[in-house]
Amino acid sequence: MIDLIHVTKHFGDAVAVDDISLSVARGELCVLVGTSGCGKSTTLRMINRLIEHSEGEIHIDGQQIREFREESLRRRMGYAIQSTGLFPHWTVARNIGLVPRLLKWPAARIQARVEELMALLGLDLEEFADKYPHQLSGGQAQRVGVARALAADPDILLMDEPFGALDPLTREGLQEELRELQGRLEKTIVFVTHDMDEALRLADHLVVMHQGRIKQQGRPLELLREPADAFVESLLGGEGRGLKEAALLPVSQRMLPLGPRLLARERIGQQASLREALSLMLWRHAERLTVVDDDDLPVGELSLRRLVGVRSDD
Amino acid sequence: MTECRRLVVPLCWLSLLLAATLGMGQLEGLFRVIEPDSRQVIYDRAGFLTLLGRHLSVVGVAAVLAILIGVGAAIAVTRERGRDFLPLVSQLASMGQTFPPVAVLALAVPVLGFGTLPIIVALLLYGLLPIVRNTLAGILGIEASVREAARGMGMSSGQILRQVELPLAAPVILAGIRTSVTINIATAAIGATVGASNLGDPIISGIVNGNTAYVIQGALLIGLLAISVDSLFSRLPSPGGR
Ligand SMILES: Nc1ncnc2c1ncn2[C@@H]1O[C@H](COP(=O)(O)OP(=O)(O)OP(=O)(O)O)[C@@H](O)[C@H]1O
Ligand SMILES: [Mg+2]
Repeated sequence: MIDLIHVTKHFGDAVAVDDISLSVARGELCVLVGTSGCGKSTTLRMINRLIEHSEGEIHIDGQQIREFREESLRRRMGYAIQSTGLFPHWTVARNIGLVPRLLKWPAARIQARVEELMALLGLDLEEFADKYPHQLSGGQAQRVGVARALAADPDILLMDEPFGALDPLTREGLQEELRELQGRLEKTIVFVTHDMDEALRLADHLVVMHQGRIKQQGRPLELLREPADAFVESLLGGEGRGLKEAALLPVSQRMLPLGPRLLARERIGQQASLREALSLMLWRHAERLTVVDDDDLPVGELSLRRLVGVRSDD
Repeated sequence: MTECRRLVVPLCWLSLLLAATLGMGQLEGLFRVIEPDSRQVIYDRAGFLTLLGRHLSVVGVAAVLAILIGVGAAIAVTRERGRDFLPLVSQLASMGQTFPPVAVLALAVPVLGFGTLPIIVALLLYGLLPIVRNTLAGILGIEASVREAARGMGMSSGQILRQVELPLAAPVILAGIRTSVTINIATAAIGATVGASNLGDPIISGIVNGNTAYVIQGALLIGLLAISVDSLFSRLPSPGGR
C-alpha cells in the first residue's frame, strides 16, 4: 500500500532521513519510534508530500506519489498531528467537516458524518459542536484533530503523536478505538509516537529509527526478543523488555487446562495480558490464578511457573 | 439590537461632524470673539460640506489604492514564490513612512501638476506602511501548525489564503487600515498647499491671512472626521467569529 524505496531527505547539507526502505501493507498499522530528531515526522510528511523527498521513490498503491496532484493525494490520507493545527476561527464541527467539504460532499452528509465522528471520539455533540478550539482542553482538541483526520474516511492515516496530550485512560481508550477501527475498516496507518508501550500495543509493524536511518523493523515481539543492537534493545526498554513482552501476550497462551486441584481463589480473564496476571499475583501474593472466560466461567489455570515460561508444571 | 448599540458612539460622532459642517455659520458670534478684527469670520470660499466631501474622496481613493497595493504586496511576498522579496517590501514600506508627505508633494507637483493627484500619491505612499506591516504580521503570525494542517488536509494555496490566512489575519489587517486612514485624514490637509481643495483649505487660508477662526474651523472638522472614522472602524465586527 505504502512503499518507501531508498528514500533520503536532505535539508541543505543536513541529512534528516538517510536511505530508508519501508513497506506498509494494506490494513497494517505501522509505528515509527526513535529518539527525538531521528526523522520520524519527516518520514511521515514525505508520504503526503508536505516535504518532498530528495532521493528514492515513494509509492502509494504502486503509483509514485509525484504522479498524483498534491491536493488529491492529501485528501485521501488523514493527517493528525500533536499540536492539532485546528483552525482557531472555525467551530469544532466545521473543523471536523473540513475534508468532506473540500471533497464537495452534500451538506447533509457532512453533518451526519461529523455527528458520527464526534460520537466515536466521545465528544458530546450538544456541548462541543459549536465550541471554538481555544475553548477545548488539550485532550479534547486532539480528539477533534483525530476526528478531522478520519472525516472523509481515508484509507490511509498518517498520525504524528496524535495522543500526546491525553491522560492515560483516554489514551488507552483511543488506542483501542484506533485498533478496532483499523481492524474493521482496513485502514493503513503510519503512526509516530514516543511512548514505547503505545507503540508495542498498537503496532503490527514496528520501525525503530535512529539518526535518519532505520535500525530495525518487524513485528513487535520479534524486535523485543531479538533486538538488532544495543540501541534497539535499550530503546525497547532494556531490562524492562520482559514486562513489555508480557503485556503483549494473552493469558490464554500460557494457561493449562483445569486440573484436579481446587480452583485458585483469584481469577483473571483469558484475554488479559500476562503482565496483568503477574501484577495480580504480586498484589494478592498468589502463585496460582483461575482463568475465566467472558462469562466468568473457569476455563483453565495459570501458575507462576507457567507464567514465567517454565515448560513443565510442577 | 446589540448591532444598533455598538453603533451608538460612532453615530454620535458622525452627527456631531454633520452638525458642525452644516451649522458652522450659526457659530459666527463665537468666532467673532476669537477674531474680532477680521471682516469675515466664517470661511466661505467653498461650502464646508463640499470641502468635507472632497476631503473624504481624496482620503478614500488613497485608502482604496493603499489597501489594494498594500494587502496585495503583503500577500504576494508571503507566498512561496514571493518569499525572496519579503525583506525588500517591508523595507520599502517603512521608507514610505519616513519620507515626509510634504516632501512627496514637493517632488510630485512638478511631475503630476497641481491638484488632487499629487496629494493622492503622497497619502498613498504614507498610508502604505501600516497596511503592509500589519498584513505581513497578521499572515506571518499564524501558527505554523495551522498552516501545516491546512496543507496536510489537502487545501489548495488559494483555499488556504481565503479560508485560513485572510480570516485569521483580518483583525490585524483592519487595525492597519484604521491607522492608515486615520493618519491620512489629518495628513490630507496639506493637500490644500498644492491646490487640492479640501478641509485643509480653511487652515491654510487662515494661516496665510492671519485668521485664526478659519484655522479652527478646518481643524475642528478634520478632528471630528478623524474621530468619527476611527470610532466606526473600532465597531467593525471582527470576522473570524472570535
Ligand atoms: N524544515 C526543516 N528544515 C531543516 N531541517 C529540518 C526541517 N524539518 C526537520 N529538520 C531536521 O530534520 C531532522 C529530523 O526531524 P524530524 O522532525 O523528522 O524529527 P522527529 O523524529 O520527528 O523528532 P521528534 O521526535 O522530536 O518529533 C531534525 O534534525 C530536524 O532538525
Ligand atoms: Mg516529530
